[in-house]
Amino acid sequence: METKEKETRGTGKRLFLLSAAALASAALLLGAYLWHLSAVIDERFSARRWSVPSTIYSDSTLLFPGQRINEETLRDKLRRLAYRVVTAEPGRTGEMRWQGNLLEIFLHDFDMPSKRRDGFSVKMDIQDREIASIVRTDTGETLSLLEIEPEEITLLFGAEREQRELVSINQVPAHLKYAVIAAEDSRFYEHHGFDVRGILRALYTNIRHGEVRQGGSTLTQQLVKNYFLTPERTLKRKLKEFFMAVAMELTYSKDEILEIYLNEIYLAQKGSIAVCGVGEASRFYFGKPVERLSLAEAAAMAGLIKGPNRYSPYENAKRCRERRDWVLRELLSNGWVSPEACDEALAVPVEPAGYAAYGKKAPYFIDYLVSQLPVYYDPDDLSSRGLSLFTTLDTQVQKAAEEALDAGLKQLERNNPALRRREDGEKLQGAIVVMQPRTGYILAMVGGRDYAVSQFNRITQAKRQPGSAFKPFVYLTALDRFTPSSILSNETRSYDMDGRTWQPRNTHPVAEDGLTLRQALAVSDNLATVDLAVRTGLLRIMNTAMNFRFSTPLKPWPSLALGAFEVIPLELARAFCTFAAEGVQPNPLFMRALADENGNLLEKRHLKIERRVSPEKAYVMNSLLRSVVTEGTARSLLSMGISFPAAGKTGTTNDNRDAWFVGYTPDILALVWVGFDNGDPIHAEGSVAALPIWADLMKSIPQYVSGRWFRQPPDVVTRTVCRESGGLAVPNACPETVTEIFLSKNAPGEPCPVHRHGHADGMGGGVTW
Amino acid sequence: MVRNILTGPRCLLFFLLLLLGVHVTGCPAPVRMPPGTVPVTEIPPSEGKRLDAPEDPRTLAAMNLTEQGRMLLERGRVDEAISLFERAANISPANGRNCFYLAEAWILKGDLYQAREWNRLAEIYLREDGAWMEKVLVQKKRIKKRENGFSP
Repeated sequence: METKEKETRGTGKRLFLLSAAALASAALLLGAYLWHLSAVIDERFSARRWSVPSTIYSDSTLLFPGQRINEETLRDKLRRLAYRVVTAEPGRTGEMRWQGNLLEIFLHDFDMPSKRRDGFSVKMDIQDREIASIVRTDTGETLSLLEIEPEEITLLFGAEREQRELVSINQVPAHLKYAVIAAEDSRFYEHHGFDVRGILRALYTNIRHGEVRQGGSTLTQQLVKNYFLTPERTLKRKLKEFFMAVAMELTYSKDEILEIYLNEIYLAQKGSIAVCGVGEASRFYFGKPVERLSLAEAAAMAGLIKGPNRYSPYENAKRCRERRDWVLRELLSNGWVSPEACDEALAVPVEPAGYAAYGKKAPYFIDYLVSQLPVYYDPDDLSSRGLSLFTTLDTQVQKAAEEALDAGLKQLERNNPALRRREDGEKLQGAIVVMQPRTGYILAMVGGRDYAVSQFNRITQAKRQPGSAFKPFVYLTALDRFTPSSILSNETRSYDMDGRTWQPRNTHPVAEDGLTLRQALAVSDNLATVDLAVRTGLLRIMNTAMNFRFSTPLKPWPSLALGAFEVIPLELARAFCTFAAEGVQPNPLFMRALADENGNLLEKRHLKIERRVSPEKAYVMNSLLRSVVTEGTARSLLSMGISFPAAGKTGTTNDNRDAWFVGYTPDILALVWVGFDNGDPIHAEGSVAALPIWADLMKSIPQYVSGRWFRQPPDVVTRTVCRESGGLAVPNACPETVTEIFLSKNAPGEPCPVHRHGHADGMGGGVTW
Repeated sequence: MVRNILTGPRCLLFFLLLLLGVHVTGCPAPVRMPPGTVPVTEIPPSEGKRLDAPEDPRTLAAMNLTEQGRMLLERGRVDEAISLFERAANISPANGRNCFYLAEAWILKGDLYQAREWNRLAEIYLREDGAWMEKVLVQKKRIKKRENGFSP
């Protein structure tokens, strides 16, 4: 009996020890597992928690007295920048009022890398579409310059396509925190990652209603589920969720968990983009930062977590309000709001602010930018690190260019039924690039008629023959030997071209046998140009083109003079910038600065210039190309309303496959191309197809037109010469004289050899140079 | 009779005819223009304001940016200064002082090619301004020295 007792005691002791050992082992294992899980969580959260897309911005807008403006595009711009029209005097940032000639704006805070400015109020007097004065309302100071903040153009997303504005827990108002807790996990501050009472309550509710009405997951469990687990419903996964939630609670404080949760949750769908986190959702639903959400708005937001699409005020305002009211009542029942505050919030309707869907603004420009960026930055960083890219784009110019192209192409199709095509992909195409010649800033880029139909960028990717738009480079090369008054032969000739005979023709017959160099370029005479090119030297012309950095292959054939070799339109625009920038060529610049997610400047990009021609030659070329506009192939610009000084060159290729106009002033340059992708003829020349689009564009952006012209450099001289001989005019003797500019190194110095004795000396016709 | 002509109401007519005669014989004949051909005979009129008109509000706005840039340059914030000079160049391309400061900025950044080109532009635009031209020429010498390997 005693032995039995001893045995029983021994067995009990063994069992106890065994159980204790088993328990200790289990606890050890559990501890090790929890330690492992918390290491996993810590590793995940110590790295970047979220991918934040990078934002691409336009350039800021400069306004100054004396500047002409397009009121309509300026209004649009301010609207896009979220300035609200008010009827009283603007008293808060983001308000504006138009009253007759007076525009009053309370500017937003300005926050760019290395530049910060608090918003202030200004009054802008606009007289006859020109800014007369800008006065700061608070100080009465007259401003000579006003800078308006850049505009968000687009976001660069990663594969997740999530848009999120990160907020810290300190930014989140208490009523939003409590509203979220009330809606999702009212015992959040009491449990340790799992909530038995919550589970039992959910079970009871679901059994009572015979359907799944309530989940028992805590906020921590939801977070774990989103971050670490797959969505399938298995016991194994549920157990892992439980343990991870516990591990998370052991690793992080309640406020840290809530902060992660508030930044993580999915709250809306904006097209193909998921709006995540309360920071972004606050702007999406209520158009304000999260700090400024009211109790009613906070409750509506918290109500959305259960089903962002189902309860979205954009989808169903009534359902959204019912859900919001339920959250408010939960807040009240938990004692987190007073009955008065609850009643007040219940009385307010749910009013979403409205949003603009993510349409891709300036899509061709963005594509070009993105295609250039991987050379410098890791694409993963661009889509995840929340960088800010500040570009040179001017959204007013971009919009004007898009509209001018669209209207111009439609007009061409209306005028000529042969240009109409049924298939979208086969329609008449066009492209525009607008640059600031001095700095190479790309202000606008329209790479095609409809980005949705074709993403092929006809400004940066197309290779097209420039036709006569290439001629300026022939004339520039010739300026070492010839002058604007040199007489060129206009006779039909045949040339040998790679073993074949080639005979250029004029599109429109020109009766004169001889033309001055200025005339020949102005009317785009093919015969005289080829004559000039051959006498100048085709290799020299080719070298000029290469010096202007055309990257496409060229051959020293006579047809080179007529633009028979393909060029990339952006390179043609850049080459013309050289004339407009008085001989220096800028690199096209599309990005100005890059900042990290905290606004710290990572990089600044600057203009780089290279001298291609002397200022004197550039000036002569500007004068010659001005004649194209005043009296040559682009003279119809005047009747199109272009009265300010401008220069440019039209271009048309064989069988009218391409129509071009590259026009500029000292301040701005725009290239317009029109054609079919498949090379079908467009039955119109550059002056008919491209020129009106250029004119339309320029009229829409008066802010870039100063009405100024170039200053004559010292080594350019003005002389009156005999038109027939090109020698200095002899008063009362030369029957036809012309006042002309010359490079001082080859200005005529001798009197007219034909008429110097008071009459023609019978030595024969004009002197050619 | 002569007296009558010179003193009578026909006097005015006589002088007008005389003026017309002088005008017709003294002027070059109009340019021959066959139908459908070339109309260009003269350099285009140089209408429009001078590119660097000093009283122009555009120039004033640009000068405002140039001045902000200059102050940044003095504080050694070269990249930010260049950004402002670029904006000024866009508003008023022929702002010679802006070109001068751009040259200064590029000297500080060590890109002497850019410095030389902006100095050349400054020389073009400031050639009528004696005091500034002196600065430009000193700058030019400085750039040259650096190019030849001398430190200032």
